Amino acid sequence: MELLSNLALGFSVASSLANLLFCLIGVLLGTLIGVLPGIGATATIAMLLPITFQLEPVSSLIMLAGIYYGAQYGGSTTAILINMPGESSSAVTAIDGYQMARKGRAGTALATAALGSFFAGTVATFLVAIFAPPLTAVALKFGAAEYFSLMVMGLVMSVALAHGSVLKALAMVVLGLLLGIVGTDIYTGAPRFTLGITQYADGLNFVAVAVGVFGIAEILRNLEDEHDREVMTKNISRLFPNREEFRQMIGPVLRGTGVGSVLGILPGGGAILASFASYTIEKKVSARPQDFGKGALAGVAGPESANNAGAQTSFIPLLTLGIPANPVMALMIGAMIIQGIVPGPNVVSEQPALFWGIIASMWIGNLMLVILNLPLIGLWVRLLTVPYYVLFPIIMAMCSIGVYSVASNTYDLYAVAFFGLLGYVMSKLRCEPAPLLLGFVLGPLLEENLRRAMILSRGDPMTFLTRPISATLLLMSLAVLVLVFLPQIRKRRDEVFTESDA
Amino acid sequence: MTASITRRLLLGAAMALGLAGAAAAEYPERPITLVIPFAAGGSTDVVGRIVADRMSQELGQQVIVQNVGGAGGSLGAAQVAKADPDGYTILMATVATHALNPLILKQKPYDPVEDFAPVSLLVLVPNVLAVNPELPVNTVQELIDLSKSEPLAYASSGNGTPLHLSGELFKAMAGIDLTHIPYKGSGPALTDVLGNQVPIIFDNLPSASGHIASGKLRALGVTTAERAPSFPDVPAIAETLPGYETYTWNALFAPAGTPPEAIEALNKAALTAMADPAVADRMKEFSATVVASTPEELAEHVKAEMAKWEPVVRDANVSLD
Repeated sequence: MELLSNLALGFSVASSLANLLFCLIGVLLGTLIGVLPGIGATATIAMLLPITFQLEPVSSLIMLAGIYYGAQYGGSTTAILINMPGESSSAVTAIDGYQMARKGRAGTALATAALGSFFAGTVATFLVAIFAPPLTAVALKFGAAEYFSLMVMGLVMSVALAHGSVLKALAMVVLGLLLGIVGTDIYTGAPRFTLGITQYADGLNFVAVAVGVFGIAEILRNLEDEHDREVMTKNISRLFPNREEFRQMIGPVLRGTGVGSVLGILPGGGAILASFASYTIEKKVSARPQDFGKGALAGVAGPESANNAGAQTSFIPLLTLGIPANPVMALMIGAMIIQGIVPGPNVVSEQPALFWGIIASMWIGNLMLVILNLPLIGLWVRLLTVPYYVLFPIIMAMCSIGVYSVASNTYDLYAVAFFGLLGYVMSKLRCEPAPLLLGFVLGPLLEENLRRAMILSRGDPMTFLTRPISATLLLMSLAVLVLVFLPQIRKRRDEVFTESDA
Repeated sequence: MTASITRRLLLGAAMALGLAGAAAAEYPERPITLVIPFAAGGSTDVVGRIVADRMSQELGQQVIVQNVGGAGGSLGAAQVAKADPDGYTILMATVATHALNPLILKQKPYDPVEDFAPVSLLVLVPNVLAVNPELPVNTVQELIDLSKSEPLAYASSGNGTPLHLSGELFKAMAGIDLTHIPYKGSGPALTDVLGNQVPIIFDNLPSASGHIASGKLRALGVTTAERAPSFPDVPAIAETLPGYETYTWNALFAPAGTPPEAIEALNKAALTAMADPAVADRMKEFSATVVASTPEELAEHVKAEMAKWEPVVRDANVSLD
């Protein structure tokens, strides 16, 4: 009953005219940037952060959240039509979606992606509504020791389940951890790796690093591949799936939603992981695994549902613990702090209208997306024909303005340039930028909480094992490590990723 | 008929232009930048934006807020210290930028007295000593007694911040030891005290006030010499430890060498802004006390604050590179 009244409060907030408008702007922008391969949700949210200062907190968060799940939708459009995932989480969709498009089933693939995402989004919204408050009660039991163990688990997960080589993922995480050390040590006040530049005393700007390794690096990469673009628009004929195709969708969508919901909650997991996991499962349970990679409907339905469910449930740790599950969530925390909201367990009780308003807006946003997405596909495709020599300078200029406006610090722009080049080099070396950014976000938290826990326990490291939540999290991390390095599972994992790369 | 209206309109327009031309000869003839040396959203930012808005009306020119956060306020303060002293760049200073940082930092990016021309003190913001309700103490004296029998820790918004030093001054005056646990800002520190991970906190009154009102934090004392009007039931720490007084303050400074006419105009605008009941109301909601002053009074205030904090900083052995 309380859930219903809470949801009613949420819908009353989210359905105000202004908030509906911001939700619409968010999902539109999100779809747009999802369609544009050069730029992702992280960079867009980073650029829009300063604009949100002027808005009501709930409106700004609704808009930013809309961008995030809008990008999940938009990304799948380009993945299916031109085999170019607009978002990393739709990389899996490209495998079978593009093959479907080549066989003249582009419409079916796009509709499957949209409907699967809508169903997953609806279920995940209710999961957030039901499970977020109980998780909050647990949240206040989290002290420094628990956070340390949680960060350990997040880092272990991000390595264990990263795309491709474990060694490279580990290297990226460690590089991220090292970059996270830059700045003033909060316990002693000693500056570390700042090169004597006062402007880096508070550490490297997260937005600058993110825009660099994702945005700028992706632009550089795409400039190379310009000749590869081949639009498959001519083949879009029938949009809606027929009865038989609906029947085929149900199983993958349900399983994808389940997998996505669980993985989305984990720090370091999120939507990308969920879509890979779902693809693996569908291939395992399918009666015709040989169809995968040649245009299997389940290969689109499952991962698309999973990435959208994951995108939604990754709000649970953000809203209840104030902990980012992924870089986009880290930016959302920034947005909340700017608005004077302390992200953490208190948000539910102190800002019920904000909390439930965001949750309700997720469902409204998903509905808007499914209505918008199907008729607008033609328009998105035409946008892709804008020449990159026009598009990329605009994106570059917006990135620079966005980063500078965060702290009016020119050194942040140098950081963007540096990390843009670094990101490009990384992509040449086939190193994923995501583990680096997660290391960068989680590293300082890991260190801060490790040292705080040690100060509080007066130097006794047993505090991590005597506190039950902390001990459980560490045991789970250990279990994940064991699983990853067991030869049999290791082999299966490599198999999955090799196929996804193809 | 039509012609005469047109002529009158033209005449009016010409007069308006003439008036604008005359006004333009005086300061300020273009927008003024108010540098806030902290990120948007903090208490200094809120005070700064309210004041900038009201001063814009008074000066007839926009006062544009620019947040230059970083290094505990030093980056923004240093930027203003080096700015052209023409009255078009001013600083929203705090106890951190103009008393604590200059004492704490080994490499001094600016001199708080030599590099700045004082404009006006604006507000005093009390800090508060609060505990998690599960800690069995109700008064400052009980806390002092308990700390002598068991080791306790307190949380603050960071190393070298006014809140950390309020804690250090408290320890020195009460003759007790508390372990300092620094956080990155008040928010995470508050969360840990609410969850009873750390039992004690020194915080800004505005940031803790919601939790004190809802009973999730027990306020033992405010750090100002007098009780805060917004929490008349919370005693001042000075009632237990006579002479204990700390608070955060905000003041306007221009770069040294700014023309006296500009300083005078800015001071007048600041005083008018702070005298506005609407501004005073918003400051009160914020638990901030309005204390507009003359430039000379502000200069004295900075000297007094530096003299007060110098021994605390030295005894607590706080220093940052």
